[in-house]
Amino acid sequence: MTQDLFWYGCNMTRHAEIIRLSERLMAALGTPAQPVGGPATCCGSVKESTPRIAEGMANRTMDRFNESGAARVITWCPSCHSNLDDFMGAARTQRFDHLHLAQAVLERSDALTPLMTQRFAARVMLDRHIGNRTGVNEAVPALMRLVPGVTVLEDEYRAPSYMCFGLANVPGALPAHKERLVAAARAAGADTIVTIFHSCHRELVVLERTHGIRVLNWVHVLAEGLGWHYADEYKAWRNSDDPEAAIGAERIAAAGEDAVRKLAVPELARPR
Amino acid sequence: MVAQHQNWTALREAETARMLAACTRCGECFRACPMIAHAPAAQGADGATIIGGVLDLLQGGAGDAASRAWTSACTRSGVCVPACPEAVNPMLMLRLAKFRAQESGSLPPRDARDAMARVKTFARLTMTEDEWERWQ
Repeated sequence: MTQDLFWYGCNMTRHAEIIRLSERLMAALGTPAQPVGGPATCCGSVKESTPRIAEGMANRTMDRFNESGAARVITWCPSCHSNLDDFMGAARTQRFDHLHLAQAVLERSDALTPLMTQRFAARVMLDRHIGNRTGVNEAVPALMRLVPGVTVLEDEYRAPSYMCFGLANVPGALPAHKERLVAAARAAGADTIVTIFHSCHRELVVLERTHGIRVLNWVHVLAEGLGWHYADEYKAWRNSDDPEAAIGAERIAAAGEDAVRKLAVPELARPR
Repeated sequence: MVAQHQNWTALREAETARMLAACTRCGECFRACPMIAHAPAAQGADGATIIGGVLDLLQGGAGDAASRAWTSACTRSGVCVPACPEAVNPMLMLRLAKFRAQESGSLPPRDARDAMARVKTFARLTMTEDEWERWQ
């Protein structure tokens, strides 16, 4: 049988270590999944201001998935997931099942539990949003509880939207969320905020600098319990005083100096 | 799973027709929305009036300032979905209204010109060449 696909979306290219860890994790659980993403496998949401273009991109992705023969497409991005539910699968025959990575990992919790050999001391507050239809608000805390030493703290607060990216586009909404989330974390005695999605991680890593609280993604926390090494380079670059120096001249040259300076550095150097 | 619609245009037309027929402009979706605090022009609006504006946007009209502000501020929290007594799915209604408003010029389009170039640039920074080749 063709192995599952792990559809990481497009903006996850900022966080390659999460893709790397996810691929390794699914293989370790006995359900390998081939990562697939980037512009060639887009759900169209990036271009949804022009639905005709978004539809073309989405159709190309649906055809690719259908032709792959994969029984399951394991999603990461909630925009991709909801576009698949609302548009892609409604206007194109879908020959595969889909579920979020957190659910796919939780399904294999019997295989995951014995692999959790490393203690990782953390009192975590999850960055949960109201609008998630992917089951992550339940699956991720269940996974965190499998990591020895992790305590999941509860709070009633749930942010609007389905991930932080939506809030970032509405004036005042993201700063309000950050303050409310940190307040909830501190009130509960948390030392770590755990993000669920990439866009939340992208927006919240700065809390390490601005508020002095550790920020990890849920996949990072699983990696800690598994004893797997990783480096969160995006967080290091975003929280550095000089992103170009943090990345290093050699890597910038290899990636293309003009593109890095025009497209990556401004994002990394924007106000926290 | 067999497609229910021939394409996105057919889907949008069918959903728009369904929403226009089902919505009673009761305003429960507006009252349930957690984003009103971040949409000053929509604050204090009458529920029936602002929904009327959204339905106008949905049909290609210009709506009013309040309905445009609310539609812009929608981040798909989805609280409106169970709040709707008619099962309209107001979250999808606002999304389709935004599509139409951006096409008609009633709302500015999202500037995504550099989005994919940025995705590729970060890929070159964070992934090995082999990974980028295998993971596309």
